[in-house]
Amino acid sequence: MKSFKILKNVICRELEIIGRRPLYLMGSIGVMAFCAIFFLTFFHQGLPSDLPIGIVDKDETWVSREFARNLDATQLGKVIKYDTFAEAREDMMKGKLTSICVIPEHTYDDILANRQPEFTYYLNGLYFVGGALAYKDILTLVNLANGAVKREVLRARGFNDDAIMGRIQPINIDTHQIGNAYTNYGYYLTNIMLPGILEMIVIIVLIYSMGTELKYGTSRQLMDTTGNSITLALGGKLIVYTVLFIFLGILMELLLYQFMHFPIAGSVWNMVINVIMLVLASEGIAIFILGCLPVTRLALSIGALYSVMGFTLAGFTLPLETMPPYIQGWSAAFPLRHYYLFYTQEVIFGSGFAGWWQEIVYMLCFLLLPIPVLGRLKKAYINQNFPKE
Amino acid sequence: MANKHYIRNWFKDFWGIATHELKQIFSDSGVLLIFLVAGLAYPLLYNVIYLNGILNDTPVAVVDDAGCELSRRYIREVDATRECSVDYHCANMEEAKDLMQKRKVKGIIYFPKDYQDRIIRNETATISVYCDMSSFLYYKNALMAVNHVMLEEMNKIQADQFRAGGFTERQVEELTQFITYEENNPYNRAFSYNYFLIGVILMLIIQQTMFYGMALLAGTMRERNKSFASLPDRFQGHGLGRIVLGRGAAYEVLYMGISIYIMTIVPAIFGLPQRGDFGDLMMLAFIFVTDCVFFSMTWSTMITRRESVFLLFLFMSPICLFLTGTSWPETAFPTFWKWFSYLFPTTFGCKAYVNINSAGGNLSAAGELIQAMTWQTIAYVFLSSVSVYIENHILKYKQK
Repeated sequence: MKSFKILKNVICRELEIIGRRPLYLMGSIGVMAFCAIFFLTFFHQGLPSDLPIGIVDKDETWVSREFARNLDATQLGKVIKYDTFAEAREDMMKGKLTSICVIPEHTYDDILANRQPEFTYYLNGLYFVGGALAYKDILTLVNLANGAVKREVLRARGFNDDAIMGRIQPINIDTHQIGNAYTNYGYYLTNIMLPGILEMIVIIVLIYSMGTELKYGTSRQLMDTTGNSITLALGGKLIVYTVLFIFLGILMELLLYQFMHFPIAGSVWNMVINVIMLVLASEGIAIFILGCLPVTRLALSIGALYSVMGFTLAGFTLPLETMPPYIQGWSAAFPLRHYYLFYTQEVIFGSGFAGWWQEIVYMLCFLLLPIPVLGRLKKAYINQNFPKE
Repeated sequence: MANKHYIRNWFKDFWGIATHELKQIFSDSGVLLIFLVAGLAYPLLYNVIYLNGILNDTPVAVVDDAGCELSRRYIREVDATRECSVDYHCANMEEAKDLMQKRKVKGIIYFPKDYQDRIIRNETATISVYCDMSSFLYYKNALMAVNHVMLEEMNKIQADQFRAGGFTERQVEELTQFITYEENNPYNRAFSYNYFLIGVILMLIIQQTMFYGMALLAGTMRERNKSFASLPDRFQGHGLGRIVLGRGAAYEVLYMGISIYIMTIVPAIFGLPQRGDFGDLMMLAFIFVTDCVFFSMTWSTMITRRESVFLLFLFMSPICLFLTGTSWPETAFPTFWKWFSYLFPTTFGCKAYVNINSAGGNLSAAGELIQAMTWQTIAYVFLSSVSVYIENHILKYKQK
């Protein structure tokens, strides 16, 4: 019973601290709210449209103009015409164009005379999404143009339209994008970026909260209230923050899958389990970092470097298998990586417990991290024998 | 005479403040950790992570219900592409789905029973492709491989059809491909991830580490009630320019060194493209670093305690990355965020660096961006002076 009372005292003390300094709530709720607004509005288009594509039309006939008009009419592209290739190249170098398409002289004549004119296109691979999408757009249009010419020629040779279709397009590809049917970049990135931000908040806020006790020398007073029990001291603190972070996490999952209707094959409540595990695992990391290095600013700097790294090593933008083998292994040390693998199973494939139970086990392992450093942290809390700045 | 004294004093104070700031930087291990360890090691770390940058041989499974000559040829060709490798031949879709769910394959290609029959009958045959969208690069690879092979296959099939239709070899060639095309990707041949991302990350590291370090130091000073804003008292309220420029000079010097390392040495170590002229890059480094210095100075005014910068601003690093417009195209920015992006030097600096260093442009290729950075610098010099002025007044008010 006595422990409960102590715990209650620690919790009240912590709530008072949070109430006194708005920094804690700004750093958690404020940051999360800002990021949620950012990611949900920034990618609201889902798929970019009107990518600037430069066209150098040396042919200047109805065929080339028709091609430019069609390209302009696609949702992806917006055509900007140039007189010379040099001008277009200049603009591409400035990053203003995603690609350039050069239509050679005499294209129309060549088509009529069956001389196979050659279109040339240049892609700007330095602007990744734009370049890749513009590439897809131009490739489609060139093939469509090819088909259109072919249809006219075959008609002229007396084929009927049914016979022509199979000749123009013998193979058709039917693409199914599992988990993101509209190739929506917003869904793709926000699904992992927001939990990544949450992981960052958990690590930074928790290190700060535990570290300030050392910095301002209040840790001894805290240890006095708990009768020198580090478990009770940290436990009380952790209860407050865990409730706060889990609340934020659940709100985030509901926001994504209930209110914003992000596609999800499985159940949103399983994702709630996932985010709770993410929060707990990140807390383990935070205690571990501070326990190893009970100097607030160093622990915070390391926590910052670590949590920024987490985004990359989750492997959701550039897949892990492209990274060097000695880096791949490290990804297991980031809770966000496990969150991502869990998410793949639940949100993309909807495979349920059988698909993701291993990730839960991995994330539970992070909870063991504080154990080896607790003794060290206790000494630091009582003796305050580490540099305060 | 008074004028002469003024100039001499100005430079004396300026020098004093700059050296004092440098001493502060080098006597603070937290700041040094950020400037030197993060500033020097992070670029290397990111380069190692993105070393290959190209996703090759994405594993796909094939369900071949047609089991004919044409489908087998198609599968062989997909397997031969750089993008995909056919790792599994499955008897049915269930088996393939299971493999995909176990993440053994990232895509499934399905050939229906009537694949060859339809082609022989001059009808359109349909191939179904199922892509794992957990990472867009898987999707891109599967789609690219299947589409490229489709185009080739179509040409072969059409040629066969026309030959069978009694056309001559010359006519067949003309009929299958009216318009040919040639593709070039001059700056990034294989659409490699690191070529596009590393340039941006390098510039981001410069801005972010400088900001965190400077904010840490500013917070420490304020915690000890030794804010630099109390300095103008010593100069009877006249020292604004000296303080802002003097402090700025300290960071400028330090960061020019770090930037030269980040912008020229790091890419050389990892064999990334370095098409820019060294002089142009130095010019850009100077403008960008100056911009970052006053940007950091302005925003670090909001930091009153040493560590609070991490709580309040760490999340800006990934957001700044998106605001550069190199991954998500600028044309698709909502208006508000477009204006918001103008707050950050990286919005212009990253593109300028990419245009010069990776695309091989000269300064004029970054002309407008440099102009924007110059305006930004002017605005931030003004704002940081104003903030010192205001803080000074508040401090005085507190004393009274």
